Order: sequence, then C-alpha cells, then structure tokens
Amino acid sequence: MAYVATRGGERAIEQSERFYRGDLGIITRERVDAMREGLPYLIDRLMGEASLYEPDLAALALAQAGGDLYEAVLLLRAYRTTQPRLAVAEPVTQPDLFTVRRISAAFKDIPGGQILGPTLDYSHRLLQVGVLNGQNYEPPAVEPAKEPAPATQPSLAAWQKAQGLIPDHPAQTVPPEDIPDVTREPLLFPTSRAHKLQSLARADTGGTLALGYSTMRGYGSVHPTVNELRLAEAPVRMRHPRGTIFSAGRVRISQTEVISKARELELGFAATFGWNEVKVIAAATLDLASNQPNPHPASNEEFVLYHTEPVEGSGFCIHFKLPHYVTFQSSLDALRRVKTDQQEAAIAKAKPETEMQPEEDEVLL
Amino acid sequence: MKINELTKPWSAFNYGFLDESAKREIRRRTLKAVAIPGYQVPYASRDVPIARGWGTGGLQVTLTLLKPDSVVKVIDQGADDSVNASSIRKFLAKVGGATETSDTTEATIIQSRHRIPEEKLREDQILVLQVPNPEPLRPVQPDMSIAREMHGDADYGQLWLILYEQLVRSGRIMQGSSYPSMVNGRHVMTPSPIPRWDVPKLNQADHLTILSAGREKRIFAVPPHTSVEPLVFDDVPYRVEDHQDKTCYRSGVEGFFMNELPQDDGSSLYELSDSHFGIKSIRKAEGEPVTLGETWYKNGRME
Repeated sequence: MAYVATRGGERAIEQSERFYRGDLGIITRERVDAMREGLPYLIDRLMGEASLYEPDLAALALAQAGGDLYEAVLLLRAYRTTQPRLAVAEPVTQPDLFTVRRISAAFKDIPGGQILGPTLDYSHRLLQVGVLNGQNYEPPAVEPAKEPAPATQPSLAAWQKAQGLIPDHPAQTVPPEDIPDVTREPLLFPTSRAHKLQSLARADTGGTLALGYSTMRGYGSVHPTVNELRLAEAPVRMRHPRGTIFSAGRVRISQTEVISKARELELGFAATFGWNEVKVIAAATLDLASNQPNPHPASNEEFVLYHTEPVEGSGFCIHFKLPHYVTFQSSLDALRRVKTDQQEAAIAKAKPETEMQPEEDEVLL
Repeated sequence: MKINELTKPWSAFNYGFLDESAKREIRRRTLKAVAIPGYQVPYASRDVPIARGWGTGGLQVTLTLLKPDSVVKVIDQGADDSVNASSIRKFLAKVGGATETSDTTEATIIQSRHRIPEEKLREDQILVLQVPNPEPLRPVQPDMSIAREMHGDADYGQLWLILYEQLVRSGRIMQGSSYPSMVNGRHVMTPSPIPRWDVPKLNQADHLTILSAGREKRIFAVPPHTSVEPLVFDDVPYRVEDHQDKTCYRSGVEGFFMNELPQDDGSSLYELSDSHFGIKSIRKAEGEPVTLGETWYKNGRME
C-alpha cells in the first residue's frame, strides 16, 4: 500500500538505534569495570539520582548510554521499578555513620573534630597534561596520622539542641512499612517530610544546584552556613523475621545540614546515595528555604520538587521532538480564521454599501 | 518447606512489566477516576522503560488493562506506524503477549496520543489517551495545590475569562487543541491535546476513556454515556477545525480530520489523519473485502 510505504517509520527507528549503539561499540565487562573504578563520583551521582545503590548496574547504565547521564538515570529507574521492595532497613543516625569526611563551617572546632578526609577543595586545579604524552600521573601516597580518626562521630546538631540553640523535633515513631515512599505514592502538596527528603535525594544534581544557588545568591531569605557536611558509609541493617538485626553491607552516602543565621537558628537537611557534596549542600539549602514567606520560586516546595526531577524533566524536554502536527494543525486553523475574519472586516469597511456576504455555515455541535 | 517452593520461577519481569502492587494501585485509582468523571486522581506513576513525556502515563494504564487475549492499537497523531506508537505497541506485545492491530474495529484497547479514531468506538473497547498536562487550569494557575482547590470549589471563572479575552482580542476563541471541557456537569478537564474535531466524540460515548499523565502523575476518566461539553458561551458556538470539506489526496475520502502537507508551489495537500482509516478506504475502493466501521462524523458533520 502506497499509504504505508511512504511512512515506513519502523525500519528507520530500528536503524537509527543501531547507528547509535554502533558508535558506542561492543560493551564488555571490562569497559563496565573501568567505568566503575575510574569514575566513582559519576557513579555516585547516578546512583543518587536513580535512587538505586548498585555500582555495577550504574556503571553498566553509563556504558550503555555512552555517558549520557539522563539516559543512564532512566535505565536505572526503569530497572529499579521491576524490583520488589523486600524490606525496610533500620534507620541510621549520624553517630552510626562510618564517617570519612566531616566538616563544619559554623565552628572552628567541634566535638569529634574536623575531619577533612578525601577532598579536592584546597587543590590547584591543574590538568596533568603529561599523561597525554605518556607520563603516568601517580599521586603521592597518603601519610597516615599518628592516631587514626575515630570511625564514628557525634552529631553537631545534638550538641546545639542540648544547648537550646536549635529546636528539637522529636523523631516520629512510624512502623517501617508505613514510612511514606515517594516511588510508590504520588507526591502531593504540602508534602510530607519523608517525601520531600526522598525527592531531594533523587533530584537532578544540576537542577538542585541551579535552584539552590539562586536562593544562596539572594532570590530568597536564606543565608546558609554549613553546620555539618559528611561523607560516610552507612551501615545497612536489616531485621530478620525472627527479630535479630544484622548487617547487610554498607552504602556510600553524603549528607549536609545547613543552618540559617536569620532571627532564629533553623536547620535544613539533605542526604543522598553516593558522595556528592554539591548536591547535598544545594538540596539542604532548598530544604531550609522551603516555604519561607517569600515569593521566589526556589522557596516553593512544589516548584523545587517538580522541576528538579531528572527523569521527568529530561523526558518532557526531549518529548518535544515527537511529532505535534495534529495540535499544530488545530492552532493553525484558529489563526487562519482570525486572518480571514480580519480580511473580511477590511473589505466590508472599504465597501460599506456592499451587501455583507452571508456567513459561512458554522459547524454546530 | 523449602524456599523454592515459596517462590515463583525466575523471570526477567512480571507479566505486563509492572509488578502486581503497581497494577493494583493503578486499578484502584482508575476505578476512582471512573466514579468521579473528570476528576484528576493522583497516582504514584512508576518508572517504565520509555522516557517521561513519551506516553508513560498511557502505557501504565494499558499495561494494567492488558490480558493475553487483548488486541491493542497504538496511535500517535492518528498514525499507527509513527515511530513512538510502533515502539509502544511492540513493547505491549512483548511484555503482555497482546495481539497488535491497526484496525480500530478490531482493537480491545486503543492507546492514543492526540487523536481519537474516526470510526466509532463500542462499549467493549477502552480508549487510553496519553496526557502531557492534566491540568486545564495551568494557564491561569500553575500552582497545582491551588488548582486542586479551585476544582474542589468548581471555581472556573478564570478559565471562562481567558476564553472571553481571546474572543475580545482576536474575535475568535483561539484554543486549538486540548479544549477545556466540562465533564458530567461538575469537573472541567483537558481532553488531552486532541483537536477540537475529536472532543465531541467523548460526549455520551459508548466506550470508556481513561486519560493518564505519567510525568504529572494524574489519572482521570470519562465513563460511557457521560456528558462532555466544551466550555462555550451561549451565543458563540463551538467550532471544530474547518476540515469538513477537505479531501484526502490519497484516498479521495472527504469530511474527516486531515493532515496538511505543504507543497513546493505554496499550496497544500491533505491526507486523512487517521492513517488506518485511510488505508482501509483505499483498499475498499480497490475492491478488497474491507469493512469500515460506523464513523462519528458523517459528511463532515456530527449530529
């Protein structure tokens, strides 16, 4: 049928996918391993946005998407959705975290100490161009401290609460199965604390930064100070049906508390899978700014949570490539009518003596 | 008792891709949507293996409705072989064992983006419309929480006002597709970006229509035999696109919604937007034994 032949979309889509995949070449276990080993911060960012902690799968998604982050997040989210939720881990508090980096900008020193851990914060950002000429870049080895820092540290906010500096919000006791889960329930507003923190945890890093930065820069009444920032490994503890609590491993997490210097001290909080400092600082700032009495969109939780969702945002953005010719045709029809009306009106005005043309039949429905 | 007696044999994914708890949730939300015609019911909206904005809402509803004996038709802008439609249809066949069809009259489930087929749907058929933006109040109130309250109060004054403003400024109502419509005399809904031509097909229809927005996480429905009235002023009648006298250059059929194809000489050709209806019409004209279903529009008019 000629009608079908001129369209012939199905073959074209198949070939265009082959084109893309052909450019990426053969995906091997070695390539996936190299990505996991060589790009840990990218893997972390991906696992956070996908809300799925599995470095091998994240590296595979990255390899399969050729490094297109949004595509990789979608792959992981689509995989995640097929997995059953078997259990809910025990809650972790700050003193439970095996902390490798913990700093506070609010005090010179804090109980437990400032622990720099791994960071590029104070490094000179110089490209090691020699590598391209065959000279390997081998960073100098770390010299261990005389006394290793303790594996766990107390919570700074606990000290501030004991001092009466910040209000203490008692923890709610909710059975694990009843903890709201934003991947299984709609996000409604005003949102629950759980949904808000979960949404921020899986938010797009870039989007979170853009909106968080806007509140830091002055579109908002928040002047944050980093109260405590941690990079840590969190123990994943499960409850056996017989009641025993056992460890099922550890996950890398980052978390930030920011504190306001406004009339009263208030905390903003964010945590996510993986080590991603920019995201948790920006997200904690957005949490602090959230629903402050000011008109800027970055202070509005609905605006923030809807527009930092990476899979929804990127999907909608690229959907504009889909054909829209029916909707366009519909608008075109309305515009043409207005033009026709104007032309007819102009003619009628020019020849007032001419009898008006009978209006064309309206389609009454 | 052994652990493998308690578990199901391994498979890459559940029947119909979504797990049973996701399907149950969508079924419950859909039932609520049917019970309150035009009301937007929030749902969790799971991630599916296509990008958001590409029919994830429609897909989740279709996956939930799917049975091994389902016959599915998927269209995009009226066409069955449009790239995204064929990709979704293949996915449905792969994960649900559904039979694929292009023929409206054969389908039990029709998932569509931006069109309702020209052949009349029956009471044993379900139409699933993909919805980019479920909120008809978005142009006047982008905040969803406030818009929800406005629906609760049936506060549609601002919507009437923008239609009136269009009338004053342009002399016509400029709304192209997604024409806001009152459902069952209570909730204003967007019929999704279908052309104005298609909106009357929802009114007092024999079939069930489920509208689902995956990215925005809302399901709403028009049950059979429910009134769907486009918002119009008493003295300014509703007007569908001026396609009643256009002729399809391929099939010679007249009086249906058309695609306009610009030509090098500055003129335009027209072809039927409902692609398979066009194919059937051509086949019938060539003498093949093809049955055309009853159409909503007859001679470019709807009674």
